[in-house]
Amino acid sequence: MKLTNKILMLAFAFCLAARAHAELKFEQTDIELHPTPTDANAVAHFKYENTGPKPVHISSVQTSCGCTVATLKSNDVAPGDKGEITATLSIGNRTGLQHKTVTVLTDDAARPQTVLTLRATIPTLLEVQPIFVFWKQDDQIKPKTIKVKAGADSPVKKITVASSDPEIAAQVEPGDGPKEWKINVLPKDVKKLHNSTLTIAPDFPATSPKLFYATARVIGGGAN
Amino acid sequence: VRGTILRQGFLLLVIAFLPAIGEALYFRDRIPWASPVPASELVQVETAKAWGSSALWVDARPDDQYAQGHFPNALPLNESGWDKQLRPVLEKWSEEKKIVVYCSTQSCGTSREIADRLRKQAQLKNVFVLDGGWEALRVSAK
Repeated sequence: MKLTNKILMLAFAFCLAARAHAELKFEQTDIELHPTPTDANAVAHFKYENTGPKPVHISSVQTSCGCTVATLKSNDVAPGDKGEITATLSIGNRTGLQHKTVTVLTDDAARPQTVLTLRATIPTLLEVQPIFVFWKQDDQIKPKTIKVKAGADSPVKKITVASSDPEIAAQVEPGDGPKEWKINVLPKDVKKLHNSTLTIAPDFPATSPKLFYATARVIGGGAN
Repeated sequence: VRGTILRQGFLLLVIAFLPAIGEALYFRDRIPWASPVPASELVQVETAKAWGSSALWVDARPDDQYAQGHFPNALPLNESGWDKQLRPVLEKWSEEKKIVVYCSTQSCGTSREIADRLRKQAQLKNVFVLDGGWEALRVSAK
């Protein structure tokens, strides 16, 4: 046998040997989720099985961000035992594609680290742009517009707005297209400093709508 | 013999590189250095500290890490608490302020995401990501 073939055989055998000792086997290491607009969390279940002859100890489960919590029932997995790591992504006001990882550390010498990936496509209920408008004290009193647009698959048909500061008025009017609105924001005067939280409430979900926020301020000339 | 060893070495390198290249292409969106923060949006610790009171510090780490320790006067602002935490940031903001966002490590993407949201959604200018993040701040404090 040529030396090249021997080296290749050795490398191949090395790879096979490493795989033969890999004991904690995950059904999936990459899970895609499609939560609905009403879901508060996106939950992925990473199922595993100890296919080796020795018990495996899971020493650590670390998530890539504070928004994701990973839990497991037991850190010790006996040969032949099955279990799962549950990764829960708190949706909050996240939208679009979210990519979070869970790093699992074990005492399995062949594979001490496994990275589990959770991909969640979170639907956009409303887009609010901009979320901050302001006037300076020497500005003219002119309304500023906040545009609100429902996402492509969003069930929202109507929105309302409330201003926390009665000195800053906010009114909703139809926008340029379907499922679009304009919020016209206008302070009564700009001589005094004002600070208002605008609470934008869609008509979905009907019982407890997910609220969106914008801020309107009358700011001074200098730092405050 | 030397030629054979070189050929074999080269062959092994090619074999090793093929799956590596394939993985790099397939997971190109996950390579941290594939989407660096533009230099114009990064700020070094010493520069940011020199801005003094004209800097508004934003801590993009999770709440529990912020509670354990943060840069003096830094305000928490992360994706989970965005709605609740944004208002105090906007209350402190004024036009001449420079916003410095940091998270836990140099490769952490959270500070970049928070900085992007402040620029795009709140339409704020002068928003910077701290190069080296919280670790660099701690080192500079020693």
